[in-house]
Amino acid sequence: MERHLDAHCEAILHEYHDMLPRFRETAADVHKKLKQTFAEAGLVVAALESRVKTRDSLAGKLELKGGKYKSLADITDIIGIRVVTFYVDDVDKVASVLERLFDIDWENSVDKRKIHEIDSFGYLSLHYICSMPDFPYRFEIQIRTVLQHAWANMNHDIGYKSGVEVPREYLRNLNRLAGVLELADEQFSIIRREISDYRRRVKALVASGNLDDVPLDGDTFRSYLDLKPFDALNKRIAAVNQAEIQEVSLMPYLTIFKGLGMHTLGDVNRLIDVYGDGAYQIACYQIGLTDLDIISSSLAPQDLCIAFILKNGGGKAGVRYIFDMLSGPSDSNDMIAEMLTQQASGLPFMNQKDKQDGK
Amino acid sequence: MEVNIYKQNKEVVAELVGRMDTPATQEFAPQLEALTKDAAGTIVLDCKNLTYISSSGLRIFLTLRKAAAEKGGRVVVRSIRDEIRSVFMMTGFLNLFDIE
Repeated sequence: MERHLDAHCEAILHEYHDMLPRFRETAADVHKKLKQTFAEAGLVVAALESRVKTRDSLAGKLELKGGKYKSLADITDIIGIRVVTFYVDDVDKVASVLERLFDIDWENSVDKRKIHEIDSFGYLSLHYICSMPDFPYRFEIQIRTVLQHAWANMNHDIGYKSGVEVPREYLRNLNRLAGVLELADEQFSIIRREISDYRRRVKALVASGNLDDVPLDGDTFRSYLDLKPFDALNKRIAAVNQAEIQEVSLMPYLTIFKGLGMHTLGDVNRLIDVYGDGAYQIACYQIGLTDLDIISSSLAPQDLCIAFILKNGGGKAGVRYIFDMLSGPSDSNDMIAEMLTQQASGLPFMNQKDKQDGK
Repeated sequence: MEVNIYKQNKEVVAELVGRMDTPATQEFAPQLEALTKDAAGTIVLDCKNLTYISSSGLRIFLTLRKAAAEKGGRVVVRSIRDEIRSVFMMTGFLNLFDIE
């Protein structure tokens, strides 16, 4: 596009052209530095984008308001970085990272979140004008949430790109939407905080041993597994053949324990207390006469479930349920369930009173 | 024991035939462990004619499983006979592999 620029603006454009490789290099450096710092801080962002303003875009800016800039150094968005966060709380977290990494030009930085009156809604974003040693130009970093980003893009698309003046009612609807998204952003943050609080409470309960108060779910079961509750039984079983224990994830047992009617971590813990001997007897019967010297850490919970089912009258069908859950439905599981049911019927635990209720 | 390795569609298939006891495992370990180079995809251990597996054999299976987990692939144990399934059950290996 042909631009009508005066000599001053042409000089700025010339400087831009000379410095372009340096701008590109610096944009890449800042991008890399941010990515690394976010990773170290455990900060997950939805997007991290960087760009160097194109010559045409700069020429357009100079054509509109070239007189405002004494030199290229007065233009602060030649390098533009955008950080898009999932949560509104993370906008401030990213800001604090930037404050640590760069010098912030506070006079020219804008917190658009604070410019709205109590009855207005719209563009919300934090813009920091930054600089760093050994680079004579400033650069802009915008921080916003995914929802703010979506709204800003739609607003830009509708409001500026159509080439037609948009009627007031549509603009009003767009601003109403901004209010809804602001509320949604706040709700996402509240939900995240509540989930974090829940996880902390659960960890505390697990650590304090009040397992009957802890519902059995993915988070709680994971915390419980951190206590290695099946280790003692696995070691006891492994000792039979001096076997090594291969550690594997025990998370698949969450579904099985729930399927067996367990609702709290206390229920799972009682399984170990009450049926540990039965599980040990099943395992001894299975591997005692073999030379198998490797087991997986899955063996203890597997045999606990089998002992529980058989002792509670679940029979072959119940045992098959365990194996169908563990390895997928198969008619062969019927054979294994049949074999186990027969073998277990002669084991001591099947003929002893239940530890829990003294039956 | 015999081991036949071939590619079928996008899978690498290792057909295991006979008894996978300790001497056989030692003999075929290099060949089977070489499968780890294909661990980013699907490795199929065809056990239709595998009649026995020892702890050493289980360890080879685990090596492949670990390599697949690291590279984002998977190990499928196919056509497993009841005798081998029982060994998997006794050792707690049943849920470590995709069994078809």
